[in-house]
Amino acid sequence: MGTLSTLAFAQLSRDELQKEILKTWAEAKDSWVIPIHIGPVDLSINKQIWFLWLGAALTFILLFIGSRLLKNRPGAYQVIVEEIYGFGRKFLGGQMGEEAQKWMPYTLSLFVFLLVLNFIGLFPYSYPVTSNIAFTMVLAILTVILYLYQGIRSNGLKTYFGSFVPPNMPAKPIMVPFMFFIEAVQQFITQPLTLAVRLYANILAGHLIIFVFLGLILYLGTFVAFVSVPAALLFYAFEIFVAVIQAYIFAILTQVYIELAMYAGEE
Amino acid sequence: MGSGIVDIANTSLIFWETITFLILLALLYWFVYPPIRDQIRQRQQSIEQAIDEAEKTRKEARELLEDYRQQIQEARQEARQIREEAREQGEAQRDRAKKEAREEADRMVKRAREDINRERESALRELREEVAGMVVQASEQIIGRSIDRGDHERLISEALDELEAEVTGASAGSSGGGG
Repeated sequence: MGTLSTLAFAQLSRDELQKEILKTWAEAKDSWVIPIHIGPVDLSINKQIWFLWLGAALTFILLFIGSRLLKNRPGAYQVIVEEIYGFGRKFLGGQMGEEAQKWMPYTLSLFVFLLVLNFIGLFPYSYPVTSNIAFTMVLAILTVILYLYQGIRSNGLKTYFGSFVPPNMPAKPIMVPFMFFIEAVQQFITQPLTLAVRLYANILAGHLIIFVFLGLILYLGTFVAFVSVPAALLFYAFEIFVAVIQAYIFAILTQVYIELAMYAGEE
Repeated sequence: MGSGIVDIANTSLIFWETITFLILLALLYWFVYPPIRDQIRQRQQSIEQAIDEAEKTRKEARELLEDYRQQIQEARQEARQIREEAREQGEAQRDRAKKEAREEADRMVKRAREDINRERESALRELREEVAGMVVQASEQIIGRSIDRGDHERLISEALDELEAEVTGASAGSSGGGG
């Protein structure tokens, strides 16, 4: 998060305030940079990438240590890790059929990864990677690739795309292409877009609200702190809840989309 | 946008994210999930085994209990049988003793009665002879002559018979009154 404290007690203009509130996102790309350029493509490592790696590393360490400490009489930490896995089995995989359980490790990894990144983003001076639309979009596109692959693999190319059009349509020459188009847009544009924007917008909005409440102190004066600090705290607590729920929604929707594609042929 | 909140064309993030996420997935799939899955499966197995064992033990215990119950039942039955036999034996013994005693007593009574009868017979006979002698003597003395032997005998016999009837009647009356 930004460095609001350095500017305390200073009355800011509206533009300066906006800049302060958006500082986290505006400066991340230019902080802690190791420049890498391949041709015109910028692959520089910056604050976003560092926090991405931190999240991935924490995700791996969290689960790896849990998996190495396994004993027949589990300790508290093992119970947590096993509970995470059991949570995946119960609440992620197998929504429509037992066969879909095979995607549970993927969606569970996704869930834990997003959860860790969301939580890291709640620390001051960090960068909430999940509030970046490029980040969420990549995961959403990955989801599309997976359900397209699973749909074709489980049903065959013809049955899978055939399932886009409901059977027994009236006025076939017009309605069949129309319905196919609608469903294709739904599957390849709307679903990934909503998936990406939901996570990105929720996390971004949550952080922005906290910054706005705190920013009001700089804009309106110190006395606002009596209202805006409790409000910011309240939203901060709410953000913890949002961090869990949005990670879960992204993971469960990925799982459900894959399972829908898997059983697309069974009407 | 310069503010960085709509950062869709962030090539470095897209590139590194893809790489990182794929590596993370590979690591998790190789190092983390198999042991957890094995552990859960193993625990499930051990729990199932424990349940099976507990069931077996319970079954054995039940069989054992049934066995013991049967043994106790048999022992009780045996005891009852033994008691029954002892009682029967005792009763038979008692009956036999009683019977023997009664027989002995009967025998003794009978013998006594026979003895009495015999004594009485002989006493009566002696008495009769004596009485007859005395009567003959007395009558000789009174009459002073011996009467005809035949008459004599007849008279005595008649008198004795009378006497005897009187005696038996009196003895029967006295014994009836005494009894």
